[in-house]
Amino acid sequence: MTSSDSNPLQLGGQVPNFELSVYDPVKNDFGKISLDEIKSQGKWTILFFYPADFTFV
Amino acid sequence: MGAALITVSTDTQFVHLAWRRHEKSLENVQYLMGADPSGKVSRLFGVYVEDAGLALRGTFLINPEGRLLNSEVSFFNMGRNIDELMRKFKANLYLAKKPAEACPAQWKDEGDKTLTPGPNMVGKVHEALAK
Repeated sequence: MTSSDSNPLQLGGQVPNFELSVYDPVKNDFGKISLDEIKSQGKWTILFFYPADFTFV
Repeated sequence: MGAALITVSTDTQFVHLAWRRHEKSLENVQYLMGADPSGKVSRLFGVYVEDAGLALRGTFLINPEGRLLNSEVSFFNMGRNIDELMRKFKANLYLAKKPAEACPAQWKDEGDKTLTPGPNMVGKVHEALAK
């Protein structure tokens, strides 16, 4: 996969793997999640970006 | 529903925890709350605003093979509507099962009329939808 800096994402295109530190409210614990991990579970990924906690989303 | 929902902001996971504890409307939250303090993932999706250090309200749908199939970005001051997101997700789930078909404008849910593009449909979309 080429660098995302030179190749902006396009609809229909492949998303390069990424990883995020997360807070998991169900387990009440911290952890990590990656796109590869979700793909390996055969699941869709919905990413929901918002500006900041303590505001509306 | 076969999808991993992850919310992402440039706050840390520690702030996510504090916010979730503090804000009553987040009591029943089940989704992972992603931390992107470096802005790396927000930049990847083109929603990072450098001057603000914040992410725009972007929603992205990626299929299980890792292809980006839907995106929607709103400015800071406009919230989203979960019904709109669910409509797009349902349409994409349907199209994943029926790759030869297309969901026309106003398609809302499984059972609604779809189109199968081909020579017979050229110039005959109105008739195809009326069938």
